[in-house]
Amino acid sequence: MSSIKEKFNQISPSEFFYRNRDLAGFSNPTRSLYTAVREFVENSLDACDQKGIFPDVHMSIKAVDPEKPDPKQYILTVKDNGPGIESKHVPLAFGTVLYGSKFGLKQARGMFGLGATMAILYGQITTNKPVLVKSSTDGKMQDEFELLLDIQKNKPVILKHTTKEVTKRGLSVSICLEGDYAKAGSKIKDYVYETSLITPYATITFDDPKGEKFHYSKIVNEMPPAPTIIRPHAHGIDVETIRRMMVDAQFEIPNIDDAMVEKVRKDLGLAKSNLAFTGIMDKAKKRWKTLSRPVRVVISLMSFLKMDFEKLNKIRIEDIDVPNKKLYYWDFGDSQSKSVDMDPESQYYKQLIGTVQGETLTAFLTKRFQRIGPSTAVKFAEFAGFKPEKRMGSMTNEELVKLSDSLQKFEDFLSPDPSCLAPLGEEPLEKGIKKFFKPDFCAVIQRPASAYSGFPFIVEMGIAYGGEIRPGGPHVYRYANRIPLLYDEGSDVVLKVVNDTDWVRYKVKGEPPFVIVTHICSTRIPYKTVGKENVADRQEIERELRLGLQFLSRKLAAYMSKRGQAEMAKKRANLYAKYLPLIAQFCTELAGKTKEPNYKKLLEEEIIVDDQQS
Amino acid sequence: MTTNKVKDRKKKANEKQQNIIDALKDHGAKVYGDLDNGQFPKFSIPSRSVSNIVYDKKIRQYILGNSAALRSSRNSSQLRSFTQLMWLAFFANRLTHEKKSSTLRDVYYSSQAFEIEFEDQSESDNIIVDLEAILSKPREDFHIFPEERSSIFGDLNIEYTIPGYEGKKMNLSNHPDGYAIGPSLTTAELVDTSAEIVIAIEKGGLFTRFVEEQVDKKFKSIIINTGGQAPRSTRTLLKRLHDELGLPVIVLTDGDVYGEHIAMVIKSGSANAAHLRELTVPDAKWVGVWATDIEKFKLPTIPMTESDIKRCYDLQSDPRYQEGIWKKELDVFLKIKRKAELEAFSKYGLTNITEKYLPQKLELAKSL
Repeated sequence: MSSIKEKFNQISPSEFFYRNRDLAGFSNPTRSLYTAVREFVENSLDACDQKGIFPDVHMSIKAVDPEKPDPKQYILTVKDNGPGIESKHVPLAFGTVLYGSKFGLKQARGMFGLGATMAILYGQITTNKPVLVKSSTDGKMQDEFELLLDIQKNKPVILKHTTKEVTKRGLSVSICLEGDYAKAGSKIKDYVYETSLITPYATITFDDPKGEKFHYSKIVNEMPPAPTIIRPHAHGIDVETIRRMMVDAQFEIPNIDDAMVEKVRKDLGLAKSNLAFTGIMDKAKKRWKTLSRPVRVVISLMSFLKMDFEKLNKIRIEDIDVPNKKLYYWDFGDSQSKSVDMDPESQYYKQLIGTVQGETLTAFLTKRFQRIGPSTAVKFAEFAGFKPEKRMGSMTNEELVKLSDSLQKFEDFLSPDPSCLAPLGEEPLEKGIKKFFKPDFCAVIQRPASAYSGFPFIVEMGIAYGGEIRPGGPHVYRYANRIPLLYDEGSDVVLKVVNDTDWVRYKVKGEPPFVIVTHICSTRIPYKTVGKENVADRQEIERELRLGLQFLSRKLAAYMSKRGQAEMAKKRANLYAKYLPLIAQFCTELAGKTKEPNYKKLLEEEIIVDDQQS
Repeated sequence: MTTNKVKDRKKKANEKQQNIIDALKDHGAKVYGDLDNGQFPKFSIPSRSVSNIVYDKKIRQYILGNSAALRSSRNSSQLRSFTQLMWLAFFANRLTHEKKSSTLRDVYYSSQAFEIEFEDQSESDNIIVDLEAILSKPREDFHIFPEERSSIFGDLNIEYTIPGYEGKKMNLSNHPDGYAIGPSLTTAELVDTSAEIVIAIEKGGLFTRFVEEQVDKKFKSIIINTGGQAPRSTRTLLKRLHDELGLPVIVLTDGDVYGEHIAMVIKSGSANAAHLRELTVPDAKWVGVWATDIEKFKLPTIPMTESDIKRCYDLQSDPRYQEGIWKKELDVFLKIKRKAELEAFSKYGLTNITEKYLPQKLELAKSL
C-alpha cells in the first residue's frame, strides 16, 4: 500500500500532464496544432497587455516536408514585441510544467502559462525536437535557448545557449510538432481573424503553410486599461484557500541569535552603546512604530524577561504558554529551564500572542480579502458565531470549515471588485466591429460589473446590421477574456440567450445580415468543458447577457423601423411617380379634355408629407 | 303604332347608353378637377362585404346597404387599384363610344396595353365589379359581356342595334340549334313575338329535345337554355322578355338543390350582384323538377353528395328560402337526400318529359 502511494507521489507534474495531455487539448494532431497556436498567441498577447505594449504578434506555420501528406511535422513559430523573459527564467519557464507568472488574481487569457509548456511537451513527444526560445528584455541583447524537457524530473535540459545583439525587444518561441493543417487550417484562420476583432489594438500576422499571408493591423490607438491584481472575494473562497492565506498571516518566534541581537540594537540606534534594561525599553517605546515585527517580538520577550542584551545572549526561548500566560526559557548559565509570568494587560503580551496565534479574525478578513471593512468584519464574526478577536492560529479544523461555509453564506459583503477585470471598452469594440463588418448599423454596450460565486465579471456586447455582413444571421461571435470561442457553441449560454430572443419583435426577419459580438470578462470564466469553448449558463451571467442584448436589440429595432420607413417612403414615392401620370392620362380622356391636369405638385407634396411623418 | 313603339324603344336604348357615358364623364371630370387643384382624387364605392348585403323584401332581391368604402389615390396601398379603376372607366368609355364589346378575359389582357398590371383575371374581375357598383349598372351596359354559353329559340323577331347590323331583323326560330345569347342579342330591339311564355331550361340536351319536340309551337313558348347558372346577359334578356313583351317566365331545372337555386337567382338575383337591380325577374316561377316530383313521377335518383347536403343547410339560412315551395322543396331534398336530373324522365321514353310532365307543370304554373 504505502509503496504504491509513494510512487504516485513521485510523479512529476510533467509526467502527469504527459499522461493526461488530452485534458489540455492535445488529443490529436488537428486539435493539438490548433491548441498550440492558441497557447502561444495568447501568451504573447497577455505579456504585451500586462506591460501596456501594443501587441505585434507574428505567427507562422511551416511544414518540415511539404510533400508529405497530413498529419505531418510542422514548425510553429510565434514572435512578439512583448517584454521578453529574463535569461535566467527562460529554462524554467519553458522547461518545467507549472512554472509561470500568472498566479495573481486578475483577468488574463490563460492561467499559469501551463498551456505553452504543454505545447512544448507535445512537440517534444511527437517529434523529439527541442524548443527554440529567443528572448530579449532590453532590445539590445538576445538570449537564444534550445531546450528539452526532462519529463520524469520536470526539469529543463539546456542543449544550447547563445547570446547575440539585436535591435528589438520581445520573445520568439518555435516548436516542431506533429499536426494536421489540412484539417485544422480553417479553425486556425478563424481563430486569428476573430482574435484580431476582439484585440483591435493588436497587429496580428499569420503566414500559413500554403504561403498565404493573413495580416490584421491594429485599428485603435488606445490600450484598454490593464487589470490590477486584487485580493480574493469572500464568496469565492474555500477551506484550502483559507489555509494557504493563513500561512502568510502567521509568524514564527524569531531565533534570538547574535545576528538578531545585532539587528535589534541597530534598529533601536543602540549599536554602539550598552543601555540597561529600562533604558532599552524606553528607547523601544519611542521607536515602536518604526520597528519591524521580529524586532518587536524580541523587545516584547525582553519586557517579560527583564533582561538587557548581554543577558539575552545567555538564554534560549523554549515555549510561550498562552493559556497560562507563562514564558519558558533555558538559561545556559544555570543550565536549567526557568519561567516568568506574562501580564495579559501588557501591550507586549498582545504582540506575542498575535505572533504565535496569527491575526485576529477581523484583521484577517480586512487585510486579506477585498472589500471588507472593520464593521463588516465584526458583523460577519457575529453571523458566523466567532469572537471578532479570535486568533486565526487557534482555529480548529471544524472551525475553519465553519468559517469557510459562513463566508459563502454571509450576504452583506460588497460585490466583488471589478478592477481586476479588463474589458475592451465600448469605443474599441465599436471600432473593431465597424472595421471588420462594415455594417450599416452598429451599437455596443458594456454592462456594469456583476459577480457570480464571488468572481466578478463584465459583459460587453455589440450588434451590427446590414452593410457588408453576409445574410443568414444572426452570426454570433463569442469571446471570453479576449479569447474567441469557436466551437461547441450549441450548449453555450450566449447562444441560449440569442436563440431565446424573438427577433421578429425587433423587426429582424428572414435571413438577416446580422452580427452579434459578446465578450465576457472574468477572473474565472465558468467553462463547461476543459476545452474552453463554451460558457456554462450561470444565472448571473445569463441575466447580464440578456439585459445587454435587450438593450442593443431595442436600438436595432429603432434603426430597423427607420430603415423600413425610409424604404417605404422611397417605394411610395415611386408608386406615385408611376401611377399619377396614368390617372391623369385616363381622366383627361374621360372628362373629354385635351390638356392633362397639373398633377406634378402632388408628387412634390407627397414627399414633404412623408418627411413630416417620419 | 308599331313604329312608334320601335322608335320609343330605340330612344330608350340610346338614353341608356348616354346615361353611362355621362356618368363616366362626370367621374372623369371630378378626378381631373381634383388633380388640377392639387388634391388626391378618390372614389366612394358601395361596400360589397357580407355585412353590407341585405335582403330587400319589397323588391325581393339582395341589395347593398349604406356602407361605402373610400378608395383614395392618397393612400399608397390603394393607389394601384385606384389607377386600375380609372383605367377601366377609361376603357369602358371607349367601348361604349365605339360600340365595341369585350369580355372579362379580354379586359384582363387589354389592360396590358396600358401598363396596368393585374395579378390575374380575378383581380381585374373585381375592379369590373367595383365599377358596376359605382355606376350601379351591370357591366353589359358598358359593353363587357360574359362568354356566351346560353342560347334562345322561338318565334321572336328582333332588330339589331350593334354597329354594322343596325336595323337588320331576325326571327329566332329560323335555326334549330338556337341562337347564342351574346351582346348583339342582348342589345337588340325585341320587336314582336307570338309566344305567350318563356321556358328557361337548365341543360343544353333538354333544350335540343324541346326544339325537336316543337315545344315552342305546341306551348307557344320561347325556349332558353341557361347552361347551368344563367349568365347575366341571359338574365338581362329574360328580364326584358318579361318587362318589355309581358311574357311570364318559368324555370325548369334538375331536381336538386343547385337546380332550385338556379331558379332562385333568375327570380331574385344573387348576393354577388347585390349592387345591381336590373337582372331579376321577380315573377319568374320554378316549376320543377321538385323534390316532391321525384316521388310523384317515380324518377330514378342518385344519392346527394356531402356538398349537396351542405348547400341545403346553407340555403336554409337564406331569407328567400323561408317560405312557400322554396322552403318546402328544400326540406324534402334534405329529408330524402336523393336527387334526380331532367334526363331521368327518359326512363319512361324520350318524349315523356314534353308530353306528360311539361303540360302538367305549365298548368300548375298558372296557379303558382
